[in-house]
Amino acid sequence: MIDAAEERVIDCDWHYQDSFTEVAEYMPEPWRTKYKDSFWEETGVTQALSSFFPTSTGDRQNYGKVLREHSNYPDEPEDPERVREGMDFLDIDVSLQISHLILATGGINADDERIQAFTRGYIEYMLEEVLDPDEGIYGLAPIPYGDIDASLEVLERVEDEETFVGACFVTAGASPPLGNRKYDPIYERCEQMDFPVVYHTGGSGLDEYVRAGYQEMIETHTLGFLESNMSQIVSVACQGVPEKYPDLDIVFMESGVTYIPGLVSRLDEEYLKRPEEAPLLDTRPSEYITDFYFGTQPLEISARNDLLELCFDMIGTDRLLYASDYPHWDFDSPSVINDLPMLDDDDRRAILSGNAEEVFGV
Amino acid sequence: MSADGLVEVGPESEFEDGDHAIVEVGPAEVGVIKADGEFYALRNQCPHDGGPVCQGNVQRELVGEFTGTGERVDQYYSDNCIVSCPWHGWSFDLETGKHIGDDRIRVPTYDVVVEDGIVYVDGGD
Ligand code: FES
Repeated sequence: MIDAAEERVIDCDWHYQDSFTEVAEYMPEPWRTKYKDSFWEETGVTQALSSFFPTSTGDRQNYGKVLREHSNYPDEPEDPERVREGMDFLDIDVSLQISHLILATGGINADDERIQAFTRGYIEYMLEEVLDPDEGIYGLAPIPYGDIDASLEVLERVEDEETFVGACFVTAGASPPLGNRKYDPIYERCEQMDFPVVYHTGGSGLDEYVRAGYQEMIETHTLGFLESNMSQIVSVACQGVPEKYPDLDIVFMESGVTYIPGLVSRLDEEYLKRPEEAPLLDTRPSEYITDFYFGTQPLEISARNDLLELCFDMIGTDRLLYASDYPHWDFDSPSVINDLPMLDDDDRRAILSGNAEEVFGV
Repeated sequence: MSADGLVEVGPESEFEDGDHAIVEVGPAEVGVIKADGEFYALRNQCPHDGGPVCQGNVQRELVGEFTGTGERVDQYYSDNCIVSCPWHGWSFDLETGKHIGDDRIRVPTYDVVVEDGIVYVDGGD
């Protein structure tokens, strides 16, 4: 068996713990001043954050049981150096940074430019202070998909920046869901730029997942992240995004892998009974969905081996991308992939870096 | 079945578009369907769960076309005729017997012959 520490490892999902303190400096006016005047220094970033980031059930730190540093939403601005330290800690060669604050924007339905302003500031900040291909630190550009023009401007801005290697769509909150024709111009541009689309599940509004009143994070974290991704997978597949833009690479991140066979089996069952409702598809939705790529984290290593093996078979080990989700509380280290008994060494290498090299060109 | 393998179904004049008749061809039950002036014959046993597929609704197939970024999918009825199993809606092309959503699934088809105003299914030799 290979040793992950000796291998090239590409982490497709690193959460840069950006805060308003840094990003606001780079925001366009009037948002820069609005945010800088928001008293976060006096009241703590967490306070300002919660007015932007809808709260969710329970404490991610497991009420004092998770003891790692920097694993929660920061009370202090993030330090780019910590990315390097974390990559050393996990033995990772290349990481793709996504914005941790942007994950919250699924809870914002107003047409008030907050997301666009933040996205623009975030991109300039990351370019200026964090991303560094020489250190293996790349980024995914957050797409404010509620505003098509602003999204196209983001793509225009990053097109010639080699440090941004894909577009990030937060899957929570999209209304209409992300297969809708409204988003076509973004997909068309991404395909043209050879820029993979990464759908990342989001945590906003978990307490109100389908029905309000869940009590604990164990409940909402199990269901909410899954639901966010599943709803977009169904929409993107049934509305024919892969038929419309066949060269577009599609990646789904952060819901593990065991939900995929169940979802596609159910969807295929529906499809055979009513295929004319997905008229752009030439064959079963599963054939398209298993062409998507999937981030592995949080991998369900507690599942029965034969189930996990079946999942890997159905999805294809050439479609799986190692993702740590670091520094979030439930991160996976590369050894989670390395130690899986049902994989051979070629599979391990493909999941740890080979597949990501192909998708993201890093 | 006659020596030439033809199974008589009945007079052509008794069929309107959309009508079907069920006949025995050897051990199999076969449905003869008239659609758009043509005759088709398929095994009357749905590959899904054995439903009487040939006794279902006959329609033209609704298809969709991507006409451009941001445009609605253009939906229209094609020239293809389909029959839909009355049990759960699996639908098959009358000409080929292929499921309209997955052409790997197929209902066996038979040739239909009309001679002197009489419709026959060719059951093979
Ligand atoms: S038995 Fe024919 S559709 Fe189910």
